[in-house]
Amino acid sequence: MEIMRLVVTGPVGAGKSTFIRSVSEIEVVDTDRRATDETAQLKAKTTVALDFGRLQFGPDMALHLYGTPGQFRFDFMWDILIRKAHAYIMLVPANRPAEFRNARRINSFMQQRSAVPMVIGMTHMDCEDAWEMENVAIALGYLDLSKAPPIVTVDAQDPASSGQALMAVVRQLMQAHLKPRH
Amino acid sequence: MGINSAKLGAVLQNFATGTSDVQGVALVTPDGLPLASSLPGGMDEERVSAMSAAMLSLGERIGTELTRGGIDRILVEGEDGYAILTSCGQDAVFLVLASKSAKQGVLMLEIKRAVSELKLLLI
Repeated sequence: MEIMRLVVTGPVGAGKSTFIRSVSEIEVVDTDRRATDETAQLKAKTTVALDFGRLQFGPDMALHLYGTPGQFRFDFMWDILIRKAHAYIMLVPANRPAEFRNARRINSFMQQRSAVPMVIGMTHMDCEDAWEMENVAIALGYLDLSKAPPIVTVDAQDPASSGQALMAVVRQLMQAHLKPRH
Repeated sequence: MGINSAKLGAVLQNFATGTSDVQGVALVTPDGLPLASSLPGGMDEERVSAMSAAMLSLGERIGTELTRGGIDRILVEGEDGYAILTSCGQDAVFLVLASKSAKQGVLMLEIKRAVSELKLLLI
Protein backbone atom coordinates (compact mmCIF):
# COMPACT_ATOMS: atom_id res chain seq x y z
CA MET A 1 0.00 0.00 0.00
CA GLU A 2 1.41 3.31 -1.09
CA ILE A 3 0.63 6.37 0.99
CA MET A 4 0.60 9.75 -0.70
CA ARG A 5 0.67 12.77 1.52
CA LEU A 6 -1.14 15.76 0.07
CA VAL A 7 -1.11 19.15 1.70
CA VAL A 8 -4.12 21.43 1.33
CA THR A 9 -3.07 25.02 1.86
CA GLY A 10 -4.24 28.53 1.07
CA PRO A 11 -5.29 31.75 2.80
CA VAL A 12 -7.92 32.06 5.52
CA GLY A 13 -11.43 31.15 4.44
CA ALA A 14 -10.42 29.50 1.16
CA GLY A 15 -12.22 26.30 2.17
CA LYS A 16 -9.34 24.04 3.21
CA SER A 17 -11.10 22.35 6.13
CA THR A 18 -14.35 22.10 4.16
CA PHE A 19 -12.46 20.54 1.26
CA ILE A 20 -10.93 17.86 3.45
CA ARG A 21 -14.26 17.13 5.10
CA SER A 22 -15.82 16.74 1.66
CA VAL A 23 -13.40 14.10 0.44
CA SER A 24 -12.26 12.26 3.54
CA GLU A 25 -13.56 8.76 4.18
CA ILE A 26 -12.75 8.91 7.85
CA GLU A 27 -14.01 11.40 10.34
CA VAL A 28 -11.67 14.34 9.93
CA VAL A 29 -9.22 15.13 12.68
CA ASP A 30 -9.54 18.87 13.07
CA THR A 31 -8.09 21.43 15.43
CA ASP A 32 -10.68 24.18 15.16
CA ARG A 33 -10.70 26.95 17.70
CA ARG A 34 -12.97 29.93 18.05
CA ALA A 35 -11.53 32.76 15.94
CA THR A 36 -10.78 36.00 17.76
CA ASP A 37 -8.78 37.84 15.08
CA GLU A 38 -10.06 39.40 11.86
CA THR A 39 -10.91 35.84 10.77
CA ALA A 40 -13.92 36.06 13.09
CA GLN A 41 -15.65 38.36 10.61
CA LEU A 42 -15.49 35.57 8.07
CA LYS A 43 -16.21 32.48 10.12
CA ALA A 44 -16.61 31.38 13.71
CA LYS A 45 -13.86 28.80 13.87
CA THR A 46 -10.37 28.53 12.51
CA THR A 47 -7.78 25.73 12.22
CA VAL A 48 -4.85 26.18 14.61
CA ALA A 49 -2.70 23.11 13.94
CA LEU A 50 -3.89 20.88 11.13
CA ASP A 51 -6.75 18.94 9.59
CA PHE A 52 -6.29 15.33 8.71
CA GLY A 53 -8.37 13.23 6.36
CA ARG A 54 -7.88 10.00 4.48
CA LEU A 55 -9.07 8.67 1.15
CA GLN A 56 -8.53 5.28 -0.41
CA PHE A 57 -7.52 5.78 -4.01
CA GLY A 58 -7.63 2.53 -5.93
CA PRO A 59 -6.61 -0.78 -4.39
CA ASP A 60 -3.04 0.11 -3.55
CA MET A 61 -2.94 3.80 -2.88
CA ALA A 62 -4.17 5.81 0.06
CA LEU A 63 -4.22 9.58 0.15
CA HIS A 64 -3.47 11.29 3.41
CA LEU A 65 -4.73 14.84 3.37
CA TYR A 66 -3.19 17.45 5.62
CA GLY A 67 -4.83 20.86 5.84
CA THR A 68 -2.79 23.80 7.08
CA PRO A 69 -3.93 26.83 9.05
CA GLY A 70 -4.34 29.93 6.88
CA GLN A 71 -2.82 32.64 9.07
CA PHE A 72 0.83 33.53 8.83
CA ARG A 73 1.42 33.17 12.51
CA PHE A 74 1.07 29.41 11.98
CA ASP A 75 3.78 29.23 9.34
CA PHE A 76 5.71 26.70 11.45
CA MET A 77 2.84 24.29 10.69
CA TRP A 78 3.18 25.00 6.97
CA ASP A 79 6.85 24.17 7.28
CA ILE A 80 6.24 20.91 9.17
CA LEU A 81 3.56 19.74 6.76
CA ILE A 82 5.10 20.66 3.41
CA ARG A 83 8.42 18.99 4.13
CA LYS A 84 6.88 15.53 4.00
CA ALA A 85 4.30 16.21 1.32
CA HIS A 86 4.30 14.48 -2.04
CA ALA A 87 2.16 17.21 -3.60
CA TYR A 88 0.01 20.12 -2.58
CA ILE A 89 -3.06 22.01 -3.63
CA MET A 90 -3.42 25.68 -2.88
CA LEU A 91 -6.99 26.86 -2.55
CA VAL A 92 -7.63 30.50 -3.40
CA PRO A 93 -10.95 32.26 -2.71
CA ALA A 94 -11.65 33.90 -6.08
CA ASN A 95 -14.07 36.40 -4.57
CA ARG A 96 -11.62 37.92 -2.10
CA PRO A 97 -8.83 39.68 -4.00
CA ALA A 98 -7.28 40.88 -0.74
CA GLU A 99 -6.25 37.27 -0.14
CA PHE A 100 -4.39 36.85 -3.45
CA ARG A 101 -1.30 38.46 -2.01
CA ASN A 102 -1.43 36.10 0.96
CA ALA A 103 -1.88 33.14 -1.37
CA ARG A 104 1.16 34.23 -3.29
CA ARG A 105 3.16 34.48 -0.10
CA ILE A 106 2.05 31.02 1.01
CA ASN A 107 2.99 29.63 -2.38
CA SER A 108 6.47 31.08 -2.33
CA PHE A 109 6.90 29.80 1.24
CA MET A 110 6.04 26.30 0.01
CA GLN A 111 8.23 26.50 -3.08
CA GLN A 112 11.24 27.59 -1.09
CA ARG A 113 10.96 24.38 0.89
CA SER A 114 9.67 21.87 -1.56
CA ALA A 115 9.72 21.13 -5.27
CA VAL A 116 6.73 18.80 -5.26
CA PRO A 117 4.00 19.15 -7.91
CA MET A 118 1.12 21.47 -7.12
CA VAL A 119 -2.30 22.51 -8.33
CA ILE A 120 -4.19 25.73 -7.75
CA GLY A 121 -7.82 25.31 -6.78
CA MET A 122 -10.07 28.34 -7.17
CA THR A 123 -12.91 28.32 -4.67
CA HIS A 124 -15.96 30.54 -4.24
CA MET A 125 -16.21 30.79 -8.03
CA ASP A 126 -20.00 30.80 -7.75
CA CYS A 127 -19.91 34.10 -5.88
CA GLU A 128 -20.99 37.17 -7.82
CA ASP A 129 -17.78 39.06 -7.22
CA ALA A 130 -15.48 36.17 -8.10
CA TRP A 131 -12.55 37.05 -10.34
CA GLU A 132 -11.87 35.32 -13.66
CA MET A 133 -9.42 32.46 -13.50
CA GLU A 134 -6.89 34.21 -15.78
CA ASN A 135 -6.91 37.31 -13.64
CA VAL A 136 -6.41 35.38 -10.45
CA ALA A 137 -3.49 33.56 -12.08
CA ILE A 138 -1.91 36.92 -12.93
CA ALA A 139 -2.52 38.16 -9.38
CA LEU A 140 -0.72 35.05 -8.14
CA GLY A 141 2.27 35.89 -10.31
CA TYR A 142 1.60 33.55 -13.25
CA LEU A 143 1.64 36.01 -16.11
CA ASP A 144 1.92 33.27 -18.68
CA LEU A 145 -0.82 30.67 -18.21
CA SER A 146 1.12 28.08 -20.22
CA LYS A 147 3.80 28.16 -17.53
CA ALA A 148 1.39 28.15 -14.62
CA PRO A 149 0.55 25.02 -12.66
CA PRO A 150 -2.84 23.46 -13.45
CA ILE A 151 -5.69 25.64 -12.22
CA VAL A 152 -9.00 24.02 -11.38
CA THR A 153 -12.30 25.29 -10.10
CA VAL A 154 -13.37 23.72 -6.82
CA ASP A 155 -16.57 23.80 -4.86
CA ALA A 156 -15.14 22.71 -1.52
CA GLN A 157 -18.59 21.88 -0.20
CA ASP A 158 -19.24 19.45 -3.02
CA PRO A 159 -17.56 16.03 -2.67
CA ALA A 160 -17.62 15.44 -6.45
CA SER A 161 -16.01 18.76 -7.28
CA SER A 162 -13.44 18.36 -4.50
CA GLY A 163 -12.73 14.84 -5.68
CA GLN A 164 -12.04 16.11 -9.17
CA ALA A 165 -9.58 18.65 -7.85
CA LEU A 166 -7.89 15.85 -5.95
CA MET A 167 -7.68 13.87 -9.20
CA ALA A 168 -5.88 16.80 -10.79
CA VAL A 169 -3.33 16.73 -7.99
CA VAL A 170 -2.82 12.98 -8.31
CA ARG A 171 -2.43 13.35 -12.07
CA GLN A 172 0.31 15.95 -11.53
CA LEU A 173 1.94 13.62 -9.08
CA MET A 174 1.89 10.72 -11.53
CA GLN A 175 3.35 12.84 -14.31
CA ALA A 176 6.12 14.04 -12.06
CA HIS A 177 6.89 10.41 -11.21
CA LEU A 178 7.01 9.41 -14.87
CA LYS A 179 9.44 12.11 -15.92
CA PRO A 180 11.53 13.45 -13.07
CA ARG A 181 12.19 17.13 -13.61
CA HIS A 182 15.86 17.04 -12.70
CA MET B 1 -15.19 42.73 27.59
CA GLY B 2 -13.31 44.33 30.43
CA ILE B 3 -10.09 42.40 30.48
CA ASN B 4 -7.47 44.28 32.39
CA SER B 5 -4.33 43.81 30.31
CA ALA B 6 -2.15 45.70 32.72
CA LYS B 7 -3.20 43.42 35.54
CA LEU B 8 -2.73 40.29 33.41
CA GLY B 9 0.73 41.53 32.52
CA ALA B 10 1.51 42.20 36.18
CA VAL B 11 0.45 38.69 37.24
CA LEU B 12 2.62 37.17 34.53
CA GLN B 13 5.58 39.37 35.44
CA ASN B 14 5.16 38.41 39.07
CA PHE B 15 5.02 34.75 38.22
CA ALA B 16 8.07 34.94 35.97
CA THR B 17 10.22 36.76 38.49
CA GLY B 18 8.81 35.19 41.66
CA THR B 19 9.03 31.53 40.67
CA SER B 20 12.50 30.09 40.61
CA ASP B 21 13.74 28.60 37.33
CA VAL B 22 10.93 30.12 35.29
CA GLN B 23 12.40 31.75 32.20
CA GLY B 24 9.34 32.96 30.40
CA VAL B 25 5.55 32.95 30.41
CA ALA B 26 2.81 33.78 27.98
CA LEU B 27 -0.95 33.89 28.05
CA VAL B 28 -2.53 33.38 24.65
CA THR B 29 -5.95 32.85 23.08
CA PRO B 30 -6.91 29.32 21.97
CA ASP B 31 -6.61 30.49 18.35
CA GLY B 32 -3.04 31.60 18.93
CA LEU B 33 -3.01 35.32 19.61
CA PRO B 34 -1.00 36.90 22.42
CA LEU B 35 -2.88 38.25 25.45
CA ALA B 36 0.10 39.04 27.65
CA SER B 37 3.61 37.72 27.99
CA SER B 38 6.99 38.00 29.59
CA LEU B 39 9.38 36.11 27.36
CA PRO B 40 13.14 35.80 27.04
CA GLY B 41 14.68 38.18 24.52
CA GLY B 42 14.70 36.89 20.97
CA MET B 43 11.46 34.98 21.32
CA ASP B 44 8.71 36.31 19.13
CA GLU B 45 5.47 36.70 21.05
CA GLU B 46 3.27 36.04 18.06
CA ARG B 47 5.07 32.86 17.09
CA VAL B 48 5.14 31.57 20.64
CA SER B 49 1.40 32.21 20.89
CA ALA B 50 0.57 30.37 17.67
CA MET B 51 2.74 27.41 18.68
CA SER B 52 1.12 27.19 22.09
CA ALA B 53 -2.35 27.12 20.59
CA ALA B 54 -1.41 24.52 17.98
CA MET B 55 0.22 22.26 20.57
CA LEU B 56 -2.63 22.45 23.04
CA SER B 57 -5.28 21.82 20.40
CA LEU B 58 -3.42 18.77 19.11
CA GLY B 59 -2.94 17.54 22.67
CA GLU B 60 -6.61 17.92 23.43
CA ARG B 61 -7.43 16.09 20.25
CA ILE B 62 -5.15 13.25 21.29
CA GLY B 63 -6.89 13.28 24.65
CA THR B 64 -10.27 12.62 23.07
CA GLU B 65 -9.28 10.39 20.12
CA LEU B 66 -7.02 8.19 22.20
CA THR B 67 -9.44 8.26 25.14
CA ARG B 68 -7.18 10.02 27.63
CA GLY B 69 -9.95 12.35 28.68
CA GLY B 70 -9.66 16.08 29.24
CA ILE B 71 -6.13 17.44 29.15
CA ASP B 72 -4.70 19.01 32.29
CA ARG B 73 -1.40 20.03 30.77
CA ILE B 74 1.08 19.33 28.04
CA LEU B 75 4.69 19.07 29.01
CA VAL B 76 7.57 19.25 26.58
CA GLU B 77 10.79 18.12 28.20
CA GLY B 78 13.91 19.14 26.34
CA GLU B 79 17.61 18.86 27.10
CA ASP B 80 17.63 22.47 28.20
CA GLY B 81 14.34 22.79 29.97
CA TYR B 82 10.58 22.49 30.02
CA ALA B 83 7.71 24.04 28.14
CA ILE B 84 4.44 23.52 29.97
CA LEU B 85 1.05 24.34 28.49
CA THR B 86 -1.97 24.58 30.71
CA SER B 87 -5.49 25.41 29.63
CA CYS B 88 -6.66 28.52 31.45
CA GLY B 89 -10.42 28.52 31.16
CA GLN B 90 -12.18 28.63 27.80
CA ASP B 91 -10.49 31.74 26.54
CA ALA B 92 -6.82 31.31 27.28
CA VAL B 93 -3.81 29.05 27.26
CA PHE B 94 -0.97 29.51 29.72
CA LEU B 95 2.61 28.73 28.64
CA VAL B 96 5.50 28.44 31.06
CA LEU B 97 9.13 28.01 30.03
CA ALA B 98 11.34 26.70 32.80
CA SER B 99 14.97 25.65 33.05
CA LYS B 100 16.05 22.05 33.50
CA SER B 101 16.86 22.67 37.15
CA ALA B 102 13.23 23.45 38.01
CA LYS B 103 11.54 21.18 40.53
CA GLN B 104 8.53 19.82 38.68
CA GLY B 105 6.29 19.50 41.71
CA VAL B 106 6.84 23.07 42.79
CA LEU B 107 6.41 24.28 39.26
CA MET B 108 3.07 22.50 38.82
CA LEU B 109 1.75 23.91 42.06
CA GLU B 110 2.84 27.41 41.15
CA ILE B 111 1.23 27.06 37.75
CA LYS B 112 -2.01 25.87 39.31
CA ARG B 113 -2.04 28.93 41.56
CA ALA B 114 -1.25 31.30 38.71
CA VAL B 115 -3.95 29.77 36.53
CA SER B 116 -6.66 30.29 39.14
CA GLU B 117 -5.51 33.88 39.58
CA LEU B 118 -5.49 34.48 35.84
CA LYS B 119 -8.91 32.89 35.38
CA LEU B 120 -10.43 35.47 37.69
CA LEU B 121 -9.01 38.25 35.55
CA LEU B 122 -10.39 36.74 32.37
CA ILE B 123 -14.02 36.56 33.39
